[in-house]
Amino acid sequence: EETAPKYTAAEKLYNEGKKEDSNKKLRKALRLLEQIEPEFRGKPQGERLVFLLGDTYYQLGDYYNAPFQFERFLQLYPTSQKAEEASYKSAASYFYRSPRYNLDQTDTRKAIEELQVYLNKYPEGEFNEDANKMATELLIKLEKKAYEIAKQYHHTEFYKAAIASFNNFIADYPGSPFREAAYYYRFDSAYKLAINSFEVLMEERLLESKEFYESYKKYYPEGEYIPQLEDSLLEIDKRLQNF
Amino acid sequence: QDLPLGDSKKYTIGDIKVTGTTTYNEKTVIAYTGLKEGEEIFIPGEKLRDVINKLWKLDLFSDINFYITNVEGNVADLELEIKEVPVLNQVKFSGIKKKSEREDLIDENDLKPGVKVTENLITTTQNYIQNKYKKEGYLNTQVDIRTSEVVDTTNSNKINMVVDIDQGDRVKIADIDFIGNEKLSNAKLKRNMKNTKQKNLFRFWKRSKFVRSDYQDDKTSIIDKYKEEGYRDARIISDSLIKVDEDDVALKIQLEEGNRYYIGNIDFLGNAAYSDEQLARVLGLEKGDVYNGVLIDERIQAREPNKTSVANIYQNNGYLFSNIDLVETNVYNDTIDFEVRIVEGKEAYFDEIRVTGNDKTKDHVIYRELRTKPGQKYSQEAVVATVRELGALGFFDAEQLNPEFVDPDPREGTLSLEYQVVEAGASQIELQGGYGGGGFIGTLGLSFNNFSIQGLFDKEAYKPIPMGDGQTLSLRAQASTFYQTYSLSFREPWLGGKRPVSLSTSFSYTRQFLFDYINREADKSRSFDILGVSVGLAKRLTDPDQYVTVSNVVGFQRYNLNNYNTGLFTFGNGHSNNLYYQLGITRDNTAFNPIFPTQGSKFAFTAKFTPPYSLWNGVDYGNLENLDEYQLRDDNGNLINEQGNRVTAENSVADQEKVDQKKYNWLEFYKIKLDGSWYETLASFGPSSNLVLRTHAEFGVLGAYNNERGVPPFERFYLGGDGLGAYSLDGRETIQLRGYPNQSVVPLDRPVDQRDDGAVIYNKYSLELRFPITLKPAASIYALSFLEAGATYDNFRDYNPFQLNRSAGVGLRIFMPTFGLLGIDFGYGFDEIVGQPGPNGWETHFIIGQQF
Repeated sequence: EETAPKYTAAEKLYNEGKKEDSNKKLRKALRLLEQIEPEFRGKPQGERLVFLLGDTYYQLGDYYNAPFQFERFLQLYPTSQKAEEASYKSAASYFYRSPRYNLDQTDTRKAIEELQVYLNKYPEGEFNEDANKMATELLIKLEKKAYEIAKQYHHTEFYKAAIASFNNFIADYPGSPFREAAYYYRFDSAYKLAINSFEVLMEERLLESKEFYESYKKYYPEGEYIPQLEDSLLEIDKRLQNF
Repeated sequence: QDLPLGDSKKYTIGDIKVTGTTTYNEKTVIAYTGLKEGEEIFIPGEKLRDVINKLWKLDLFSDINFYITNVEGNVADLELEIKEVPVLNQVKFSGIKKKSEREDLIDENDLKPGVKVTENLITTTQNYIQNKYKKEGYLNTQVDIRTSEVVDTTNSNKINMVVDIDQGDRVKIADIDFIGNEKLSNAKLKRNMKNTKQKNLFRFWKRSKFVRSDYQDDKTSIIDKYKEEGYRDARIISDSLIKVDEDDVALKIQLEEGNRYYIGNIDFLGNAAYSDEQLARVLGLEKGDVYNGVLIDERIQAREPNKTSVANIYQNNGYLFSNIDLVETNVYNDTIDFEVRIVEGKEAYFDEIRVTGNDKTKDHVIYRELRTKPGQKYSQEAVVATVRELGALGFFDAEQLNPEFVDPDPREGTLSLEYQVVEAGASQIELQGGYGGGGFIGTLGLSFNNFSIQGLFDKEAYKPIPMGDGQTLSLRAQASTFYQTYSLSFREPWLGGKRPVSLSTSFSYTRQFLFDYINREADKSRSFDILGVSVGLAKRLTDPDQYVTVSNVVGFQRYNLNNYNTGLFTFGNGHSNNLYYQLGITRDNTAFNPIFPTQGSKFAFTAKFTPPYSLWNGVDYGNLENLDEYQLRDDNGNLINEQGNRVTAENSVADQEKVDQKKYNWLEFYKIKLDGSWYETLASFGPSSNLVLRTHAEFGVLGAYNNERGVPPFERFYLGGDGLGAYSLDGRETIQLRGYPNQSVVPLDRPVDQRDDGAVIYNKYSLELRFPITLKPAASIYALSFLEAGATYDNFRDYNPFQLNRSAGVGLRIFMPTFGLLGIDFGYGFDEIVGQPGPNGWETHFIIGQQF
């Protein structure tokens, strides 16, 4: 068989490429692997080949083909020794695919899901620390997205939409670094909505904004937005005297 | 994980054997099952079941069995018996001659060598072929498929397939016969059968073939026709297909028409949000009207956004979960009472609004266009409007915009909405080379419609160019042997992100050398260049209504002439600066198709001003000609006259070039324009065939603050012809007046040497009748006829709005998204133009890219 020497060559190129961080060698290895992989399907070497194929894509930064191969690998050889690594690298590929926060986050959600699968399956896994770090980073990205969208409603003066979005944000993302700001902008939206209201609606809205003030104070008694809040509160109380 | 099933026992796998396979390696099969020697499994058990399922899914085997061949202690030897599905070796057709037809059938049924021949494949192929011929009118087609094993030495499990097709004859409908119809004529009923037609001498384009599914639809449309006329009970009692001869069939349809019904009392039940009167107005039907079942249904249930219906007013005002039923409560004689039963449900509010699929365009660019906001009441109209707005951005594929309801909750009265978008290419590159105007002309144009200027400083944003902030950047360079022009423009549609305030900036530079057409050379020592910069802000107002846009532009242009005496300007050496401010107010509520508006109006008011320098610069422009330094002199500084002879100081003449250079070094003028068009549908012959009248009037005036300085020769109006923005070096405005040559309509009493100059006042009126030929998105075509009149004047003293150059004619417009607007007009000018006594006569105009 003439595939055997190709297999050896591919493995050699892969190992060297990975060690020397040489994309050139990895690309060569990839070409060989793609070529011989179908011929080893169902044979004992097939297991290693599929993993190598996935990992070569991964090393080359092709985060679209890598998870595809790793997922295939996990399906074909769920009990393989390399299953843990494949599971992690597949999830990590989605992590690297995840775009900046203000674009579509489908890959981010997929990455979080995959990382969670990995962490559940291998609670003591060797990539545990990285996986946790990645998941946290992605979660913060989703939080930033939701926060910025809500803040845009505030900025464009759609205050009702802003209040609704900040309510959702506060309910969906406990422990977010944007939480304090969300509490503040929720208050500010309600406050601005109130003071720009018709007379008949104003009292109710002023009272609602006061409630938001209270909840900010409850969670962040020493918060950075306190000075602005107190200023607005004075205005609210002044206006409330009219009713 | 393996789990035991029933009373199973745990075994250790000893030996695994595969039998029955011919094409697969035994090891391959075992590896595929994932079973290993020495592995512990339950028999029977989950694991074995999974293995069998996995093998079945391959679609490669027609039978799969596991056997235990030997048991020693708890070690079991397994045998996997599989039977492979035969594969196709060759397919032959009999009964059809055309090669292409055979190939189509092979493709459509995937009958390629190597395909697994299952029972399913044979049956579906047979049905497919039969149906295919039926659709073409061959009702008697017989298809028979036979298979035979290929006998060869390798025992390869292959079979051959023979498909016998007996097409039979194509069947036509010789006659359609209705029985029992008195109220509606045969002809009327036949007209309502859209796809089933009787054979007719005049029907040679479309066959009168018989297709069963079409026929079923046509039966429904006959009944619908009856319903429209009030025959609520009309039904088809029986219909039969009679074979007349080999090729012909006849249809016999027996009808029962029933009585004609009228509307009795209409009651509304369960409506709290809208009063009975409000709903009755939407319904628009009254007691005594003919009971038009189709219309009643539409007025109650129609969900198409442009239709008036009870369902729609609920859907557009928050009642997503509303449910409306029509119930006939009483039928007496020929009158039907009915009830509109409404379950309003809880008002629905949007919870979350999401956008997915935007892998280039940033959230804030999309969210600012969304008409649906969290916490807002649900409205079908708002969703439809949002989809339209997103499509209009041009960043997404308008065909694939998909708003999807997520978790609608009738009890809480909430729903979330996800807009799924697909990014479309929003950049254009124009690269041209050509030969014309005496030399090679090269053009490079780049236009990025979803640019991100913020991304310029972000290394990660280059993919390959920074995109996603919804800005527009265009660059264009054109060069030939004698001129070069460069331009750059940038537009941010939402400056500051708070409101749609658009900021536009542009920069352009043109340099032109005098071209010697005889020697085909550019004279680089004689040139003319123009530098232009402008910054504008435009804002769409909310008061008095959302159709009004106000724009402000500050611009600067510098004209520089270097020994460039071509008659374009009054001086050949020198420069001219044009610093201006322009205010524009437009109101546009034309609807619905921007290419073919059928209603609404469009107004534009523009005012352009330069600073009134003469107020403070202290120059006595009227006296310039008398000043010593503005007298005509020769190269040695001696006073001369126009003939070049030396003269004394008393007889000296003014140097007009110098005077003009002084007068126009900084242009001083104001320009005001008014423009209005009204669109009115005169008659409607269907949803997209309206006869539309466009009434249009415009007026413009260019004036000077200081009469001694005068109106500059720039920025003037040129009336006549196709009105296309010709070669406008001097800021001129060309105005369309069909039936006359381009830029030919100048005041008749002008001195001969000024006849090429533009005018300072113009007015124009036109009436245009338009009728669409097609308004498909791929190409919109409409025909038009027009009456026009216009005139230009040199000053208000001569102004006479009734002394006009009139014309009439016809034309055609074609709009294709890829080419823009193309058109041709034939116009007849009834009046004379300068230098040509008598009516001007016929003119042909080609219109390119002008849109209104």
